[in-house]
Parts: sequence; structure tokens; C-alpha cells
Amino acid sequence: MKFFELTSEPLDVGAIARRIVPEECGATVTLDGYVRKFTKGRETDYLVYEAYEPMALKEMEKLIDKALDKYEIAAVGIVHRLGKLDIGETSVVISVSSPHRRAAFESCEWLIKELKRTVPIWKKEVYADGEVWVEGDVSGEQ
Amino acid sequence: MKVKVLFFGATADSVGEREVRLELPDGTFADKALEEILDKCEGLRENHDVGQLHFSINQEYSNGKETICDGDELAVFTAVSGG
Repeated sequence: MKFFELTSEPLDVGAIARRIVPEECGATVTLDGYVRKFTKGRETDYLVYEAYEPMALKEMEKLIDKALDKYEIAAVGIVHRLGKLDIGETSVVISVSSPHRRAAFESCEWLIKELKRTVPIWKKEVYADGEVWVEGDVSGEQ
Repeated sequence: MKVKVLFFGATADSVGEREVRLELPDGTFADKALEEILDKCEGLRENHDVGQLHFSINQEYSNGKETICDGDELAVFTAVSGG
């Protein structure tokens, strides 16, 4: 089971996580990624996210299919928000359900790392005195 | 043949457009198509390390070896930074 979406609406993390509660599972691990105020010591006012939407959806689905193949997990949901986001607002939710928690933790980490490397979404950091499109770290570690 | 080229984020800012139409010779390979785009769309070479730019064909990452077809949707963008 899987879902992957892009939206400009605020994300309800708990509601997204509860969309995947299969009967054979006992744990869902959910990443709530949200907007950080300080990046490398610089103070961000807000972020703007933009996506190449049809390609981003295709890449999200590929990642989920790979994770379902690679880990002992039953369900994955990924929702990424686009547009202007204020500090503390959720930008991405990744939920993974599995019969046992370890596979859910490991695959959730793998999914966010790969999403940051392959899914065509970009963030612009807007500061009091300027703005910059962030270029990703190709390792996906940051 | 005609193709559509899309830009996003930093590359859209550099070119000053989000979408352009280009005429390419029939049978152009992906790596040649990217060179054409870099030559014809001012701002890309000036503002980017072109070796770090990503290139897609019909919403799939290119390996540079594909043959471009009439009506293809190409895109040029910087390393992604979602999450």
C-alpha cells in the first residue's frame, strides 16, 4: 500500500500517519520535516518550495516501490508541501508501517535521504536581506 | 523537430523563463541537446557549474545517450533540495 502527494495546503502529520494502519502491522514511523529558522548560522524568514510536479510524483513512486522491495514494510505514504512555508511548518511527511519497528525506522531514514537526492523539488531560503535557491547535497545526508 | 524545455528554481531565475521552445535537428542525442540548450538559453553557463546541472527527458533523468524525439519535454535544473 502506498500514497504520494504534493499539496500547497498545510500538512496534518497525525492524520497522514493514520492513513496507513494495516492490520498486519504493529508500528508506523513518521518523519515530520519542518522549516528550520537557522541554517549555518543564518536566520531564515520563510521558505518557498517549488517542484517539477509530474516528475516529482513519478520519482516519489519509484522510491516507495524500491523501499517496499528492500525492507520488510507494508505501507508507505509521502506528502510534500509546496509554496511559501513559515518557520516550524511541516514541509514533508514520510510514514512507514511495518510488522516490527526496526524496518520502519530504517526505511524511513532511507526514504528521506533518497528523496533529498532524487525528487525534483527545490527550496528557496528567504532572509531579511536576500534569498537563495538551495542546491542539494548529492549524498542526501544533510 | 521542436521540443519544449522547462526550467525550475535557480535555472528559471537564470534564464528568466520557465519554458522555451527549441528547434533541434532530427536524431539529436541528449548530450548534444543539452549543449544546444546551454548555448541558446543565456544565463545558464553564466550562473551555473554546468557539470552539476541535471537534465531530464519526458520526466525521467537523462543519461545523455537517449535520442530526442519531436515533441519531447526536456528540463534543466540544479541539484534538488526538497525535504
